Amino acid sequence: MNLNIDVKQPEERYSVMTLVGEVDAFTAPKLKEELLPLTQAEEAVVEVDLAAVNYMDSTGLGIFISALKSAKEYGATLKLTHMQERVYRLFKITGLTEIIDIDTSVKEGGS
Amino acid sequence: MSTLRLDLENYRDLLEEYVRTKDERALYQAEQFSKQSMQQNISPEEIINIHLRSLQEIYPEMPQLILDSFDFLMETMMSYGLAYQEFQSLREKQLELKSEIAVAANMQKTLLSTVKPEMEGLDIGAMSVPSKQMNGDYHHFVMDDEGSLGVAVADVIGKGVPAALCMSMIKYAMDSFPELRMDPKYILGSLNRVVERNVDSNMFITMMYGMYNTEDHTFSYSSAGHEPGFYYSKARDEFEEFSAPGLVLGVSEDSMYEQRQKQVEKGDMIVLLTDGVTECRKGDEFIEQEEILEVIRDNKDLPSQEIVENVYKYFERLQDFQLRDDFTLIVLKRDV
Amino acid sequence: MKDQSCVYIKKEWDIVAARQMGRDIAIKVGFGTVDQARIATAISELARNIYLYAGAGKICFEAIETVQKKGINIKAIDEGPGISDLAQVMEDGYSTSGGLGAGLPGVKRLMDEFDIISKSGEGTTIESTKWLR
Repeated sequence: MNLNIDVKQPEERYSVMTLVGEVDAFTAPKLKEELLPLTQAEEAVVEVDLAAVNYMDSTGLGIFISALKSAKEYGATLKLTHMQERVYRLFKITGLTEIIDIDTSVKEGGS
Repeated sequence: MSTLRLDLENYRDLLEEYVRTKDERALYQAEQFSKQSMQQNISPEEIINIHLRSLQEIYPEMPQLILDSFDFLMETMMSYGLAYQEFQSLREKQLELKSEIAVAANMQKTLLSTVKPEMEGLDIGAMSVPSKQMNGDYHHFVMDDEGSLGVAVADVIGKGVPAALCMSMIKYAMDSFPELRMDPKYILGSLNRVVERNVDSNMFITMMYGMYNTEDHTFSYSSAGHEPGFYYSKARDEFEEFSAPGLVLGVSEDSMYEQRQKQVEKGDMIVLLTDGVTECRKGDEFIEQEEILEVIRDNKDLPSQEIVENVYKYFERLQDFQLRDDFTLIVLKRDV
Repeated sequence: MKDQSCVYIKKEWDIVAARQMGRDIAIKVGFGTVDQARIATAISELARNIYLYAGAGKICFEAIETVQKKGINIKAIDEGPGISDLAQVMEDGYSTSGGLGAGLPGVKRLMDEFDIISKSGEGTTIESTKWLR
């Protein structure tokens, strides 16, 4: 499986990353390369839309923990949106739902 | 197949035979010639040279411009010859690396080895199999003077050698804790500080730590973001998931861990595992939890070690004997 | 001291001149076509190395003859930045993975003797010999 990464910046310091596919050991390095720099800006807001991510393994999870740490360091905000149930379970188990801003609402018009 | 002589005379004869007969046999011989040449490290430019000289002997009247064209061909083949030699040397290096990793994996096995205790009243089964050479999972048993069993199951987020190195550190941190009986929540709290301070910021560890008291048959446990375990109640013939809230080790300096307790009855089972078990796939599909529990249930009357081994065999087959992730499974069964 | 002939490498087409001179000397020494092609390829790699990393330098050739054997000696001399990690450039796969061709390990394979002296900030001298068999 593959992971498509699309980044839009509607405003300065506000980026929306849309992921389509699977976040696993193979695709995680690419995600890390794209995601970390976005969180390394003062007061930036980074939204990652996970509506089309149906699988994530622990390596993928590690990327989001790194992103959260780096966001904290720069005073930026990391938000994960439209997270699917299977992926949410992973965040729930690892206790990360307590420290990451996660929204699980189903995206309108999408499946 | 007899060995061919890799010389000009033989090549010339084969070439002559082919040109005369257009026979597949001669082509097959050419194929053998090329394979054996590779074994002998004969490079493409040398083959071209042999071809050229054979032609000269077969057709002494060959126009000069055709002969010259072979210089051109030879030059274009140089890089292929070099690339082949480089490939050979890289392959040797790869073998070297493989054997080095095998040595490291062996050392790791020794470092992380834990003895499965024999206990009155508790039947223990445990198995941990790495998907590659180095294991990023870890499990550990420790007995205290009062007859309590400490059991840890952990999984490094990340795979391969770095994950394995990280696990060795955890093992030493745990060994350095005082011999006193410590509650699971304190053990996880201390480990969290060790990981937070000492491990690369991209590496995190999940762990379930449990303490089985053989006197009153209680099982206390805390979890640092680890895969939930399963509790089998014999009376109800039912499995239920169990866990306790807590963040993965190494994310936040001041994580606190909640501790919970279960009263274990005769015939009840505690199943601890890593996500290599619950996340394993068959083809593109995920294996559902029920499927794991079904296998355990089918084997529940066997000794714990056999249960664990049978579950492993089942999953190994499902995954075509190629584990995608490290696999660790522990079963504790109260038998008295 | 034997005669030494040098070609200065400043632009890509100087690589061709270096190959030509090396080949002429190789023919005089008595090398066959296969070895000529190997020597020419080695010269290309050395000259391209100068062209890409040092900017300018020279390649010098010398026909050598001892009591037992004859051969060609090639020196690539530049005053470029130098190579800080020799072990790395001599490692297989380092230059090929970057698409830069056979690199210095390739030169070593094509020739019989090979030596590098490099000082950071002062330049690099690579000396290589091939013997006539």
